[in-house]
This record gives sequence, structure tokens and C-alpha cells, in this order.
Amino acid sequence: MGADYLWSYASVAVVGLLGVALAAGMMGLNRFLRPSRPTREKLLTYESGVDPVGTGWAQSNVRYFVYAYLYVIFAVDAVFLFPWATVFAQIGWAAAVEMAVFLGFIALGLVYAWRKGVLTWT
Amino acid sequence: MVTFWTLAPIMVLAALGVVLARKAVHSALLLAVVMISLAITYASQGAPFLFAVQIIVYTGAIMMLFLFVLMLVGVDASDSLVETIKGQRMMALVVGLTFGVLVVLVVGQGVVGVSVGLGEANANGNVYGLAALMFTKYVLAIEFTAALLITAAVGAMVLAHRERLVPRRSQREESARRLQEYAETGRHPGPLPTPGVYARHNAVDTPALLPDGSPSELSVSRVLRARGSVREGFEGDVGQTLRQLDPDDPTSTIGGSTPRRGGSGRTEES
Amino acid sequence: MIHPLLVSASAPPPIDSPTIQYGDLSPLLVVAAVALLGVMVEAFAPRALRFTIQTALAIGGIVVALAATVWVGLGLDRASGDVLARGRVVAEGAVAVDGPSVFMWGLVLLFALVSMLLFAERRLEGGLSAFTGQAAAPPGSAMEREAVEHRIEHTEVFPLAMFALVGMMLFPAANDLLTMFVALEVLSLPLYLLCGLARRRRLLSQESAMKYFLLGAFSSAFFAYGIALVYGFAGGFGLGDIDQAVSNRIDGQNLLLAGIALMAVGVMFKVGAVPFHAWTPDVYQGAPTAVTAFMAAGTKVAAFGAMLRLFFVAFGGASWDWRPMFWVVAILTMVVGAVAAVTQSDVKRMLAYSSIAHAGFILVGVTGAFVGTRDASVTSVSSVLFYLTVYGFSTIGAFAIVTIVRDASGETTQLSRWAGLGRESPLVAGAFALFMLAFAGIPLTSGFIGKWAVFSAAWSGGAWPLVVVAVLASVVAASFYVRVIVTMFFTEPTGEGPSVAVPSMATTAVIVVAVVVTVLLGVVPGPVLDLAQSAGAFVR
Repeated sequence: MGADYLWSYASVAVVGLLGVALAAGMMGLNRFLRPSRPTREKLLTYESGVDPVGTGWAQSNVRYFVYAYLYVIFAVDAVFLFPWATVFAQIGWAAAVEMAVFLGFIALGLVYAWRKGVLTWT
Repeated sequence: MVTFWTLAPIMVLAALGVVLARKAVHSALLLAVVMISLAITYASQGAPFLFAVQIIVYTGAIMMLFLFVLMLVGVDASDSLVETIKGQRMMALVVGLTFGVLVVLVVGQGVVGVSVGLGEANANGNVYGLAALMFTKYVLAIEFTAALLITAAVGAMVLAHRERLVPRRSQREESARRLQEYAETGRHPGPLPTPGVYARHNAVDTPALLPDGSPSELSVSRVLRARGSVREGFEGDVGQTLRQLDPDDPTSTIGGSTPRRGGSGRTEES
Repeated sequence: MIHPLLVSASAPPPIDSPTIQYGDLSPLLVVAAVALLGVMVEAFAPRALRFTIQTALAIGGIVVALAATVWVGLGLDRASGDVLARGRVVAEGAVAVDGPSVFMWGLVLLFALVSMLLFAERRLEGGLSAFTGQAAAPPGSAMEREAVEHRIEHTEVFPLAMFALVGMMLFPAANDLLTMFVALEVLSLPLYLLCGLARRRRLLSQESAMKYFLLGAFSSAFFAYGIALVYGFAGGFGLGDIDQAVSNRIDGQNLLLAGIALMAVGVMFKVGAVPFHAWTPDVYQGAPTAVTAFMAAGTKVAAFGAMLRLFFVAFGGASWDWRPMFWVVAILTMVVGAVAAVTQSDVKRMLAYSSIAHAGFILVGVTGAFVGTRDASVTSVSSVLFYLTVYGFSTIGAFAIVTIVRDASGETTQLSRWAGLGRESPLVAGAFALFMLAFAGIPLTSGFIGKWAVFSAAWSGGAWPLVVVAVLASVVAASFYVRVIVTMFFTEPTGEGPSVAVPSMATTAVIVVAVVVTVLLGVVPGPVLDLAQSAGAFVR
């Protein structure tokens, strides 16, 4: 524990910083090299030469919420799978059954969604 | 300790921001800051699994849910700050602060000792130790979590998914219906007139002009009409139009006297 | 650079696979299986058959679960080293199958059985259930009209109710805080959904679901924070571990006391105790009446069961710390419930405030914390169990009657419109009057015995001032129950007066059962009281 433990995350931090530096460097370089003479027309969003109408935001349909929800459910599901994999060998077949029951329950939810036509494009 | 004292102020400020920000988007972004800081705190306290879960589930999935809700209510949506019950906000502030101070004092006095047993619990690795508990002692709770998840799935679909009650018409049936309608009522079977055609502007909020010079209602999207953002005032005012077309005039509306930023004019099909 | 915390160097030792006593848990497992089957029916059965299949499945499943409960109850052994408690802790310490658990399982199953009959009522809405056909369609929209034209119904309500039922059964039986929290959520989430699915007055219904959900989530957060603090104090989730830590404590009580307070907020929200009652009237009024009946009866049982187990088993050693808090809450709940009910003009809101007042009366029994002596005086646990039985049946009966007093726009819930109901339909008005008398605690009704039981337990536990307040509150409460009776029988109807729709066999059966139970438990309470008494104490 302590300093030694935190050092094990140093590589993560370095990779993260490198990523940020790379993106920032490329964008920044771009900005310094290019000429910048903005006009009203240039600042308009380009839409095949037609003036844009209204704001950029468009209200999305509530049904897309279902996809987000299903994603959350399966994210939680995946989170349970990670630790399960580490103890599977030690517990044996009982762990397989436990996970099968858990996944089976959730699969029923997916089957329900599929039969209700949530997963097909309308 | 360094991690804690670095992150704690950030978290507290961001959490305050979540509550105090007027715009929902800002609240959501600040919430992400709180969640990520929390994840790093977990990692620094020897709970790498919780760190991963916090990132995957909260910062990933739950934040996405939040953003979907934002898309539903609107990015620009901000709170209405009108009190329906007089003095409610003041009361809430007093009660909330009192509760906060109470909890901080009580918990602060309670947590004075050093925590023990972490090394023991993490003896075979943090994830392993957690998993050993999850799949033996608390397996029933885990299985019932599945019941919770399936309830959530069913509930989301009951509340948000509209079932199609009439079968979808194919292209062929649709064209047959249109011609049928044309034969019966004389309604034009083709597509609606395009906006901007024969008008003095080409954006979708500008109605097409009919031969007599009047704007065609049909040429502008129903949604734009409902929002009241259809351009008007094109009839016969040549002078004004000329002024609008003049690129040197600062009040020119073409190109926008108020530049509309970030605008794609697309509207969501419903 | 991989740290040993992430990956272990040597092969970890094998872990014993958990032993689950499926026999003891069979009532829970049956209901869970029925809920999952219900979801599958939704997915695969043709729309026309779904309602029939779901009703049969739900009712059949509950009957099987009841049989399993009786079987488990008959097989309970005396716990070692305890004179009163019977049963054992199963599933690696997650669930306590003991007398109170089994009694409450039976109770919520019975409540669910009669509630399912209310769910299945289709005659009142002209062949459709009381639930909206298309919850996703905005109220008043063309899509809603289309759904009505196609005569579709959300039969998902049955599996959702079954999930809530599983939660209600697991919540009072949970023997560790983690399982208890999951059970609390399993019980709550389907109820939030069900509240928003009314066919009539949909905006009110959706508003109630929203309020219930937000406040419920808030109270769950309190509960979870309390769990964290108690874990910090005791170093374990098991109620037995916590009990030991509480009994052996020397100092450092702050964490424990804060944890107790926060967990109390969670369960008191669920039972609707003042000051955590604000959701009750709105939700009871807005939710479909069948759901209100189910929720009012079932949630009370589950939440009081969990409260009893939590405070008698885990925090039993700290009863001197939590009892003063319960005194205050019990008095507030009785007084606010009774006084606010007097001013209500809506029958469902009146019943909601009445349920708050009753939560207060039950809290009186809990606050007594009387564990019993060798002679057969009524203990806190058994008196609360009996009161819950009594209250549940009367409540479901009262709400069943609310569903059949209707006009063209659905249920007539304004109290003033109930004037003259006694002339219109003496039987229905008489049944409602009976429930009102039972709520008021008039002798020869079940409510009297229930009140007597909790008050005597509290008296034996030394909480006699509380009993005095409770009796006074009962008198105030009685006044508004009597007012309803006066309105129904002795007031001239305004306009055309109320009309009573003719329900199907299902609702009729519910009302008849509720009437019979209310009278029987008032006249011969012995057997059920004995059963509650023999349920005995909690195992540790």
C-alpha cells in the first residue's frame, strides 16, 4: 500500500497525459499555421449552401432512451462478469450455474425487448 | 492523502456546481467530474475494481442516460426559479445545511481511527476478494439484482416504447393509396412543394411562393410552423428585400444579422 | 509494473460453493419464476390471450407460493438456544426463514392474491383493465385514442406486480443489509412503474409515479448511506454481526447512531411515517386504485417487517438510543395523520392520511419493543403482525369499493359525491361503513382487536404515555371515519348522486373476502392472534 501502490498507476497517468498532449499539440499547431479571417458566412454551419434554420439542438425521441437503458443494464451485467471470471476456477460449476442464472434473467429482458420490436428499425 | 486532498476540493466544488448550475448540461458535465474524481479516490484506496466499475457504469453508462435525458428536455433548458411555495428555498437551505453540518460532525467524529484489514481483504487481489464474497455469501443479493435489472428493462419499454398498432404500409401500398386519394379527392399525389423555390431565399424556413405571390403553407415543415420560426414578410416589399440582399448593410438579414451558430436545420423525425 | 493488488502471485485457494436451501426459499423462488414467466408471456403469447394467461399465471403462482409458505411454516424447527424463535438462517446468512418471516410471506401473498383479483377487473372499464393501453402515448394524444380504439392493455402489470411481491417477501426476511437493500429496490421499482399506468386521469397518475420515484430514490439513498455507516461501525453486513458489535460497544457510537437514524429514514419513508409521509396522499390518489390497494397493504407489511427485524435484531442492544426517536415519530405520525385526514375532501386522499395514522398506531407497537415474557402476553412483533393483517384486508376492501363507485369520467373520489350512497346501494355503503368502523377501531370489528394488541404490547413495554396519545388520536381519527358514514347514509345527494357500477366476480370476491375477514377477526380473533403469537421472535 501507499506510495508504492500509487506508483503502479503512474503508467496510466503517463499514457493519459501523452494522449492529451498529442491531441492538444496537433490542434494547437493547426491553429498557429492556418490563416484566420472569419466572416459571417464562414462561421455559418455549412449545409449544402442552404442557410441553417433554428438552433443546433433537436429534441430526440423518447424511444431512443430505451437503447441507452438497455446499454446500462448490460454494462452492469458486464461489471459482474469481470470478478466472476477471477473466481470461476476456484468455485467450480456452482459459479457457472450462478452466472448462467443471472445472465438468463437478463437475457429474458433482451428477448422481451426483441419481441416488442425495440431492436428493429422502424 | 495527497490524492484525497487534491480531489476532495475539486469534488466538493463540482458537486456544488451540479446543484447550483442553471443549465442542465453544465450540471451533467460537473457530475462527470465528480464521478471521475470519485473513481480516482477509489483507486487510491486500494479498490481497483470499484474504480473500474465507477468508470464503466457511472461515467460511461449512467452519464449517457443523463445525456439522453438532456437531449429530450433540451440543451438550453434551464431551471425555472419561481417558488411555488413561499419561503421554500430558504427553508430547504436551512434544513439542508443543518443536516449537512450534523452528518459531517457525526461522521467526522466517528471516523478517526485508521482502517484495518484492507491488506487481509485484498490478500489474493482486490477483484478476487470481492468476487469471492459476491459469488458465495451474497449470491442471493446478486441474483435478485438481475430481477431489478429485468424490471428496469420492462419498465423502460413500457414507459417509452410505443408499439405499432397498425401494420406498416409498404412503398407499393403507399403509392396505390396516394393515387386512390388523387382519384377521389384530387389531392396531388406527388411530394409537397419544396421550400424556397420561387421565393427570395433558399433556407427551409422560407415558404415557396405561389404564382400569385402568396407563400405556400405546404412548403414549410410542420415542425417549423409549429415552432413559429417560418420567415415572413416577403410579399411585395422589394425595397426591403433589396436591403436584405445588400452585403454591406449591417442590418442585412441574409447571412444572419444574428449569426445562428451550430445550426443544422434538421429536425428530428418523430 | 503490475501491482500485487491487481493480480495475485500464487494460485488462490479454492472457495466453497455457496449452499442455498431451495426448500426454505421456495415461496420466493416460485414468485420470482412466475414473474419471469410473465415477462416471457408478454414476449411470446398473442395479444388476445395475454390477459387471461397473465391472470391465471399470477393467481396460480401465488396459490402455489402460499402452499409452499405453509409447508415451510410447518417445517420450522426451534432455533437452538432460544425459547421463542423458530426457524433458521439460510442462503449463507442472507435470509432468515423464521416465524415472523413466514407469517409475513403468507400475509403479503394473501394481499397480493386479492390485489391480483382487483388487477384482473375488466368489467368496470367496458372490457378493459384499469391500466392504460399505451403508457408511451402522451395523455390526450391521437396515439392514446388509437390505443383505446385497438382495445390494447398493458398486461405487463402482472409480472411487475410479481416482482414487487418478491421484493416484499425478501425485504422483511433479509438477514443482511446488502440483501435488505436489494430487496428494498426490487420492491420499490415495480411499484414506481405501476403507479404511472392508470387508464383515467393519466397526468395525475404520471405525476404520482414521478413523485414516488424521486422521493423513493432519495429515501433509498438515505438507507444506503445508513448501511455504509453501520458497516463502518460493525464491520459486517449480517444483522447478527451488527447485534454483536452493538452489544459489545464501548465508545465510537456516532457512526452507529447516525447509521441507525439514516436507515430509520429509509424504512419510515416506506411505511409513510411523519415527517416522511409527504408522498403518501399524492401517490395513493394518483395511482390506479388496484395498485394503491396492493401498495397500501403489501408495502406496509414488508416495510414494518424489515423495520422490526432491523431494530429488534440488529439494533436491539441500542434500543435505549432509538426508542426516543420512535416516540417522537409515532406521536407525530398519529397526530398529523388523524388531523390531516379530517380536512380531506377526496376519498383516496382520506384513505391515504388514514394509512399514515395507522402507520403511527403500528409504530406505537414497535416503540413498545416488548419482547414478551413466559406468560402469554402479546409481544410487539406479534401485535404488529396482527395489526398488519387487520389493516391490510380492510384497506384492500376499502379501495376495492372506491373502484366501483363511478360516474362517466371514471371513479368518483370526491367525498361530497358519495352523499346518498347508502340509499343507492346499501350493501356497498354498508361494506364501506364496516371498513370505516374497523379503521376507527370500534369493538366487534377487526380494527378493535388490532388496536388493543399494539396498545397492550406498548403498555407492557412501558410506553404508556404513548398509548394515551394513541387513544386520543384514535378518537380524532374515529371522527372522520364516522363523517364518511354520515355522508353516505344521512346526507342528501347533490345532483344525481353517486352510482355504483356492477363489477365482475373478481372485485365482488375481494370485497366479500375483506368484509368476512374484518368481521371474523373482530369476533373470533383467537386463531390468527395465536398464529401471530406462535410466529414468535426473530432468529439471529
